[in-house]
Amino acid sequence: MSIALFVLRRLGRGAVTILFAVTVTFLLLRLLPGDPALAVASTNMTEDARAALLTQYGLDQPLPVQYVLYLGQLLQGNLGTSFTQSVPVVDVLLQRLPWTLLLTISALVLTIVIGIPLGVLAASHKNRFLDRLVQVLGVTGQSLFVPSVGILLLLVFGLTFRWFPIGGAYSEGVYGMEWYGSVLQHLVLPTVSLALIQLGSFALTMRATLIDALGDDYVTLAKANGIPPRRILWKHALRNAMLPAITLIGLQLGFVVGGAVLTETVFAYPGIGRGIYEAVTQLDFPVLQGAFLLLALTVVIANMLTDIAYGFLDPRVKTAS
Amino acid sequence: MRHKTLAGAGLLAIAALALSACAPQAPEAPSGGASEAGNDTLTIATTTDVVNYNPLIGNSRSDYWVTNLMYPHLLSIGDDGAKEAQLATEWGYVDDTTGYYEIRDDMTWSDGEPLTAEDVAYTMNAVKQDQPSGTFYGQMTNFSSATAVSDTRVEIELTQPDSSIVEEIGFWGNVVPQHVFEPAGSVAEFANDGSGGWVSAGPYLLTNVQVGQSYTMERVENYPLVEGGTPIAAKVVYRVYPDVNTEILALQSGEVDVIANSLPPAQVQQLQNTDGIEVAEVTGLGYAHMTYNMQNPDLAKVEVRQALAHAADYEAIRSVVLQGQADSTGSSPLMPVLSKYYDDSITEYAFDPDQSRQLMEDAGYTADADGMYPVSFRLIYSLQDPVTSQWAQLVKDGAAQAGIRIELQGSERNTYLSQTNDGDYDIYAGNFAIMDDPVTNFSLSYLPGGAINYTYNDDAELNALIAEASQTFDEAEKISLMQEAAKIVHEQVYDNVMYTQNLYVAYSSEWDGFISKPSELLSIVNPVSVASAFRVAE
Amino acid sequence: MTAPLTTTELTTPLVEPAGQRGDRASRATWRAFRRQPLGIASLAILTILVLVSVLAPILSAYPASYGTDVLRPPSATHWFGTDALGRDVFAEVIWGTQQSVLVAVAASAIAIMIGTLVAVAGAYVPRLDTFVSVVVDLTLSLPVLPLMILVAALAGPSTWTIILVVAAFSWPEVTRLVRSQALAVVKLPYIDAARLMTRNHIWIVGRHIIPAVTPVIVVSVVVTASRAVLSAAGLAFLGLGDPTTWSWGRILFEAQQSGAMVSAWWLTLFPSLAILALVLSATLLSIGYNDARNPRNHER
Repeated sequence: MSIALFVLRRLGRGAVTILFAVTVTFLLLRLLPGDPALAVASTNMTEDARAALLTQYGLDQPLPVQYVLYLGQLLQGNLGTSFTQSVPVVDVLLQRLPWTLLLTISALVLTIVIGIPLGVLAASHKNRFLDRLVQVLGVTGQSLFVPSVGILLLLVFGLTFRWFPIGGAYSEGVYGMEWYGSVLQHLVLPTVSLALIQLGSFALTMRATLIDALGDDYVTLAKANGIPPRRILWKHALRNAMLPAITLIGLQLGFVVGGAVLTETVFAYPGIGRGIYEAVTQLDFPVLQGAFLLLALTVVIANMLTDIAYGFLDPRVKTAS
Repeated sequence: MRHKTLAGAGLLAIAALALSACAPQAPEAPSGGASEAGNDTLTIATTTDVVNYNPLIGNSRSDYWVTNLMYPHLLSIGDDGAKEAQLATEWGYVDDTTGYYEIRDDMTWSDGEPLTAEDVAYTMNAVKQDQPSGTFYGQMTNFSSATAVSDTRVEIELTQPDSSIVEEIGFWGNVVPQHVFEPAGSVAEFANDGSGGWVSAGPYLLTNVQVGQSYTMERVENYPLVEGGTPIAAKVVYRVYPDVNTEILALQSGEVDVIANSLPPAQVQQLQNTDGIEVAEVTGLGYAHMTYNMQNPDLAKVEVRQALAHAADYEAIRSVVLQGQADSTGSSPLMPVLSKYYDDSITEYAFDPDQSRQLMEDAGYTADADGMYPVSFRLIYSLQDPVTSQWAQLVKDGAAQAGIRIELQGSERNTYLSQTNDGDYDIYAGNFAIMDDPVTNFSLSYLPGGAINYTYNDDAELNALIAEASQTFDEAEKISLMQEAAKIVHEQVYDNVMYTQNLYVAYSSEWDGFISKPSELLSIVNPVSVASAFRVAE
Repeated sequence: MTAPLTTTELTTPLVEPAGQRGDRASRATWRAFRRQPLGIASLAILTILVLVSVLAPILSAYPASYGTDVLRPPSATHWFGTDALGRDVFAEVIWGTQQSVLVAVAASAIAIMIGTLVAVAGAYVPRLDTFVSVVVDLTLSLPVLPLMILVAALAGPSTWTIILVVAAFSWPEVTRLVRSQALAVVKLPYIDAARLMTRNHIWIVGRHIIPAVTPVIVVSVVVTASRAVLSAAGLAFLGLGDPTTWSWGRILFEAQQSGAMVSAWWLTLFPSLAILALVLSATLLSIGYNDARNPRNHER
């Protein structure tokens, strides 16, 4: 019973967050200076198309009515029509979504794979040189400016060493199993670029949670019982530190997705981030709104999944409710 | 335990099979025998996606480049600005209100249908009737109807004499296959997005679209417009790179062979000095200019406009912002590239702040204690245009030297366009990419109510000259009329034409055979050029 | 774009004890801080940057609107080289410091004020707290950069837009940081005692709670400011910055627009280093400060 309740609660929270995102977007467009009609109807459209859109969104109606109409449109899966491409925003974005997911998930996996050992290293050498080194590297990583990192990687590994291709998600004219290889090859540099930024914060958190865990009573007891420190570290402390780490992944997702905007632009990676960049230069508002909502949805779902996973793994949660 | 591992392995195998279904499949081998033309693929980089496959609707550069490889124009243009044959072999006027085109009889559509005068006539009539928004429709003002009098001859009826329209329609309009477009209804709404495949007259046919990534086009075997009758490269792929820096890197690393969009001026010299990269010069067909809104009472005075004209350092703009890659037109809308029309007796406004001050005084303004006159002008430009964004600042500084205050207002493109349409500015700064026919351009720019009249003038003498020229069929006479008109524009500063920019495009040294044509829309990616390109032997 | 700061590092609610030997707690903190080389170094760098931004007019002439030496690498006349219009990159970076520091300070100041007020109000009035924590959680779970882009694109490019946009999306993190500390403080016995003494809630909040959360505020000032720098630079890089003033992001944006990013390494390097310097020193400073105020690190 309690597990079901837990899951339901998380789903509920997720739904509320989405509603919040939708409301924020709606209010932003209606309350900011400038013509709200600009947000749905391009100046290039024919008069008929424009008038149709304006009635669809009820832009001449009072705000609450507009809100309901807006929600209605969203529930039907209608995110509007792109100004520049005159096709539904949903089509434009759904084509790009898989690439962004691929990129962000790869970056997160890389972050975890490298971040955990780094955190362990730092925690077990607390306040000594290795710890300081990891701390400094971690903080530096957090402070990097994404486009600069991307260009640097492109220059060094793409142009000078020719190890990796410049931009794009895969090479033209490649099929079957080779295609996967091509996708992987194109994935490396953007993933590394994105992961470098996240790595710092993740490693630092691992370190902090581990240090806390190592200070717990049961660890002292284990040490007193003569259990070797390495075993304590890896078998007990780490396991307990993993749980907050999972939640952290969920938290990081929002930032990773934001970082993807800049990374995809530099690497010409055909994801939603790049779609946002192109939409910005054209001021294609429906695409911008739709992209934000879609990204918010992705982040919320991911957070829900990690929270639910946390709930299953952490025995304290099951017994608490 | 073993069951679990087996089950796991089984799942993995199934997953792998399922995943392999996601990867794109190799296309079937093309039918038809191999040709002497090679098997190479030409990869071209562009910065924007293709958003629209219907060439009759106004579109962006990438749209134009891709659809141009499928839908032919009647006429092309040469380096001297004169129109050249393409689909049409002969063209002209039967009488003052009837024009004609004679077209080739050896072109076919890729699905086997012959390309005849019927397609041409259909296209023109459909555009006139359905009014798709774009430059093609913009040329149709005096067009009434088109008829295919034979398989190779089209005659067009005009509502009034118009000596430019035959060439303008021929140059700007594509010809689309009637048997594909007609069943779809209005050409203004037909997306032509390729469900069921596209139909092309060559040299290439779009076969595969990966939105945001690449557009693959395959050779159409029969393309009489290229030497040898068959395009050399077997495939052409347009790849999208939103960032010009990444584009350049891709060219340097060999991932693309050509960059279709013109290079930023600062990059030209650098790439010219790079091994493995060639830079081709493309004649510019347009100009950059400022126009002064005469609805503003200060700007309605010709002395003030002249003062502003003398308050900008054109040389500095050309040498610094454009790296010397621009030429003066003598501040005249008749550009040097249009050699027949060019009048070198019209000279550029000299950069002379003192003269500007004198002119302001003549107009009745007195400078205050700081040396500034009691005027202030708002100059609009598009932030998305990096070159204009840069010289706007220089213009402002130059005017300040002459005591004239200019306030810069850069806006993003949509705002800029709507400000332009509403006349919401004092000074308009922008550029036109192609101004190929003086009469058409003057009509649009200087006649009251003209579509691109940004100066809001109404000069009776100028109007008369333009109207007369549009109905004059004798070329020598037309030229002298336009030169007179240009002198008036120059004296009255109805337009301040600042420079015509020569464009540069980069391509890999591994390829050759490109044929450059004026303007960025054609440059080295025009159909005949792409079909003639070949990979240099090792 | 950036990562959230490690929660446990910064929000372990610490109630500062009275200092040892009768010293004020802050003195002990300062002494502990002084002993950290990284902390001192970052304070020095930060001070230098702030000085540069204030002294910009003395250090360099305002970048000209154009120059004749286009895209030259660093040399004796142009220490950081020139850009695509021949302007001196050194001057751009110096004046850009002014804009970047201004945006960072203004945005974080606004974010801090709002964030602190909201957090303290929530801690002091339990009923508000649930509402506050929900709003904060919701905002923090959304991808912020795309939202900032949307707002900036709608509002148009200007310095105030950037400041307000960054502030508007930074205050929830401040609230999160301050709130846990405020909650811990509010439960302390001496607050209850104060409530018995007076009904003037403003006085209680101002005299007791705010000073108790001040260390966390100090930490979040630096954190928010550094985050603001990265956000502002990111927005400027995308072309949403103020085109009339010089900022580090603008240098990168113009380098990108002119296609010079890959060939003119100096255009990318120097503004990137400047951003790194500001953000890194701010973050290290906050970590150093946090370590220093931890009584376990104080001298015995």
